[in-house]
Amino acid sequence: MVVVRLMNVTKVFRTGVVGVKDINLTVNHKEFMALLGPSGSGKSTTLYLIAGIYRPSSGKIFFDDRDVTNLPPKDRNIGLVFQNWALYPHMRVYDNIAFPLRIKKLPENEIRKKVLETAKMLRIEKLLNRYPWQLSGGQQQRVAIARALVKEPDVLLLDEPLSNLDAQLRISVRAELKRLQKKLGITTIYVTHDQAEALAMADRIAVINNGRIIQIGTPEQVYTKPATVFVGGFLGNPPMNFIEGEIVEEKGKLYIVIAGQKIFAPAHYEPIIRRGGWRKVVVGFRPEDTMILPECRDRNECVKGRVYAVEPMGREYIVVADLGGELVKAIVPRTLVLTDDQEICLCPSLEKIVLFDPKTEKSLEVLAAEKE
Amino acid sequence: MTREVSGDMTKSNLFSKIKDFIHSDAFIFLLPAIILIIVFYLIPIVVSVYMSFTPLKNWNIARYIHEFVGFENYWRFFYMVTHDPTVRPIFITTVVFILVTLAINVLGGLGLAIATFFMGEREASSTQLLWLLPRMTPIAVYSMIWYYFFHGSAIGTLNSILMSLGIIHKPIDWGQSIIPWGPWMIIIFVNGLVGVSYGMIVFTSAISNIPKELVIAARVDGASNWSITKNILIPLLKWHIVYVTTWQMLSLLTTYDHIFLLVEWGLVNRYYGTTWALYIYNMAFTAAEKDLGLAAAAGVILVIVGALLGLLALKILGFEKMVKEPRGDI
Repeated sequence: MVVVRLMNVTKVFRTGVVGVKDINLTVNHKEFMALLGPSGSGKSTTLYLIAGIYRPSSGKIFFDDRDVTNLPPKDRNIGLVFQNWALYPHMRVYDNIAFPLRIKKLPENEIRKKVLETAKMLRIEKLLNRYPWQLSGGQQQRVAIARALVKEPDVLLLDEPLSNLDAQLRISVRAELKRLQKKLGITTIYVTHDQAEALAMADRIAVINNGRIIQIGTPEQVYTKPATVFVGGFLGNPPMNFIEGEIVEEKGKLYIVIAGQKIFAPAHYEPIIRRGGWRKVVVGFRPEDTMILPECRDRNECVKGRVYAVEPMGREYIVVADLGGELVKAIVPRTLVLTDDQEICLCPSLEKIVLFDPKTEKSLEVLAAEKE
Repeated sequence: MTREVSGDMTKSNLFSKIKDFIHSDAFIFLLPAIILIIVFYLIPIVVSVYMSFTPLKNWNIARYIHEFVGFENYWRFFYMVTHDPTVRPIFITTVVFILVTLAINVLGGLGLAIATFFMGEREASSTQLLWLLPRMTPIAVYSMIWYYFFHGSAIGTLNSILMSLGIIHKPIDWGQSIIPWGPWMIIIFVNGLVGVSYGMIVFTSAISNIPKELVIAARVDGASNWSITKNILIPLLKWHIVYVTTWQMLSLLTTYDHIFLLVEWGLVNRYYGTTWALYIYNMAFTAAEKDLGLAAAAGVILVIVGALLGLLALKILGFEKMVKEPRGDI
């Protein structure tokens, strides 16, 4: 198995379009890495660079210590699964899975053994005589994964393999794929635009936007400590709330003023704010880390707002609140009864607030770390 | 009794079906095509069949049109094909011409489409443009180019090249002296070059509809260009190959424009450079004694042979399988 390293990789297409810029990424041995980003962000480009389908304009790609930057795809020993699965429509499932081995000119009895083994692992051994168009989406997807795995690749590359499945199936396949990856212990890079998929499956997530990697971290880190406003707004459903705030100091204590109301600045931000001399900030807080009370007691932890709309989601309710003209969301238990335009009190959990610089949109922690 | 009743039933059913069809939207939609088919296909066929049973000569319609000779024209035609030494070469030429040109058209088109698929974009489009030139050039101009190329005197391009290279010492009359290979080579070459572009365009557009991921996946697995061609492109182009083969075969059976000019200008031998379709044309329009009854009979047989060959080709190549599996609206 293999460690994949990208060093300062840039891809500029012939048309002048910049695919990715200055990508630095290390995917560890046996790791499940998700490349997460909106469409056109460069995540698939990154995957194709690793696969060798694209050559980088500059930078280097290593598999362990082997420089594969200029190796063609076939010499990299990778398994690739596409969004549309790319099964050969004129070949039966068996021949589809056997294809990579036949190209390698393995003896037919060995091919047979490996195909059956892989098919059994993915529970498609009963479908080997069918044509792709006779299979359901979920089955086609398994065949595509079997075809990628049958040649025992060093790296498994998945390009949105679940996005052609219906929502229900996607969720069940997600757990299965994660388990399979752990069982095989194969270094896996998974491209997706679905933040839930990335959070659910990956060991680490690399968030990509506009051809650049914005943040790399565990799902926990990326979710709770987004490095930029973009990351906070891209992950989570509903995503993080953002509202502009101003820092004021009264009697040696720091406060943030949101919508004309004062709340305490989170304790862990105090040194950063003082050192950076921050005045204007963007306050980010997650809907599920926000409490709603019928009325505010004067505690400087909550702000007054008004109910804009209530969205019952089954398990919980999403309350859309009007905070001095800005709409923010909070997830509340079903037991809370609220009516539209009712005055409420919104209490973001102070220790979970993330503060961002309004200009660079980077979090204050990241900016502080960059300065050091 | 019962049989008659059921016979009546089907008859009235058929009439009411036709009636329904005439009143339907589909009829209005199909009307322009139906009119075109009737005017330019059915009526000429009926006229030809009628003519083939008359001894019509030299367009003297008033005199011959009411005379019937039964199948005499057909017997005469068969007798000429089997016994007339000036007619037999025409049929051998037709068979050779169609088989060889068809192979060149289909394989050449396929080869070009696949080759350009593996080329860079710019090389591919200029290659395709180059091969489209014969198709875009007016027939007379295009024929003129090859007339001078294969000309039998020293001004012929081929002759002057070979002579300046010292390979030959006096000009060869390619189309008249090397019988039958000379004229065959020339008419096959000239028509083959035109026909290749048709297959190329059909196959190129078919290849561009194959999802690129299929090729990338094979490439990642280490497949060579040849292996991708053999295992992926050609199987997926099967129906297009069926279509192009059938279409080209039928159009080769009836084409005569380039050949007509090459024969008229004396570039190729009149007997080994003429095909069935041109023979009919000559008999009806350019011969000293225009034997229209015979021409019509030969034409009718040509249509029947064309229809049979077309059906046979579709049968052999499995057309009904393509029709049976609808891939659109399921």
